[in-house]
Amino acid sequence: MNPNRNPSEDRLLAYAAGNLSPPEAVVVAAHLAMRPANDAWVRRLQAVGGAFLDEAAPSSLSQDALARALARIETDAGEVKVPAPLNDMPELPEPLRRYALGPWRWVGPGVRVRDVHAPRDGDCRVILLKIEPGRETPRHTHGGVELTCVLSGAYATETERFDVGDFEEADNDVLHQPRVVSDTPCLCVVALNGQIQLDGWLGRLMQPFVRL
Amino acid sequence: MSADGSSHDAFAHDRLIEAVALRRDREAFAELFSYFAPRLKAWLIKSGATPAAAEDFAQDAMLTVWRKADLFDGRKARAATWIFTIARNRRLDMLRRDARPLPTPEIDLADEEVRRPDDILAMSEDAERVRDALSRLKPDQVEVLRLAFFMESPHSEIARQLDLPLGTVKSRIRNAMIKLRLILEPSEEASR
Repeated sequence: MNPNRNPSEDRLLAYAAGNLSPPEAVVVAAHLAMRPANDAWVRRLQAVGGAFLDEAAPSSLSQDALARALARIETDAGEVKVPAPLNDMPELPEPLRRYALGPWRWVGPGVRVRDVHAPRDGDCRVILLKIEPGRETPRHTHGGVELTCVLSGAYATETERFDVGDFEEADNDVLHQPRVVSDTPCLCVVALNGQIQLDGWLGRLMQPFVRL
Repeated sequence: MSADGSSHDAFAHDRLIEAVALRRDREAFAELFSYFAPRLKAWLIKSGATPAAAEDFAQDAMLTVWRKADLFDGRKARAATWIFTIARNRRLDMLRRDARPLPTPEIDLADEEVRRPDDILAMSEDAERVRDALSRLKPDQVEVLRLAFFMESPHSEIARQLDLPLGTVKSRIRNAMIKLRLILEPSEEASR
């Protein structure tokens, strides 16, 4: 396992603890659905969380807490929870199937995006990015951390190749220009934080028109 | 086992959840509530919630325990881990609700027990191994890990709480995680 194509330990720990922002958690969940070893590790970390919960020094509850809890279960009619309908992309991993998806939008030659209607967190949101073979995204830098999980195809950055299931964390220092190196389009799920700054003369020309 | 003291029988809580699942056993639920609700409340207070909000959270999480008890599988996760996961999902849901500008469908994204029914890991044995692993870490490593679990945006808050430089907290967490991996996954670590 190459640590560079996996979430950092910090990221997995935060996911296990429930401390990631919702958009980030969506991308990590997609990755875990495709990487059983990391998934098993997250479960172990949750057992660590369980051990900590077990040995936590208890806080005292209000006097009627137990009575209230018992009254609630007496009258509880169960959970009314209708699962959201599946979206129109059966090729997505299971954790992404029940999010509504926006329309595909053109953002450059051979590059399309569509919004994943997962809850946003401030400026952070989730998109699907589909890039045709041989194409690259416009050179860009990030306003914040960008998390990417490859769902099909493969792309390469200046230094590394990312295949199906691989996970990339790019921070705001990285000048980023992924290029698709698979014969088929590369589909990724991305948690974007902050605005993307396009780079180069073409990028600067496109910036006003492209809403990523 | 005393009402809110530590449990001596490691499987006692598992059996209580099973009693709730099989017989809707209210006494079993009351015992689980008395043990876990004060600990869930403590967790939320540590993560920055007011005592009142923390108690509401504990109430809601325990109601989920009541509702989902039949999904509990002691072979996959022990009681404390299962309840931790329920609470963790609940907390994520809460963050979602606060963050979402649009109504989005209710999704059990992190409903692990449904998501991966074919998991064959012997998680019960795991719980013992995890405890054993924690006992082999240095106390200051266990301390930062515990805080990482129970606080949001962990690093800076942990640094503030422990009055340590941020870099020290980060490297301490990193070292604790490396050691945990070594103890719990010696074979995988070699190939990573």
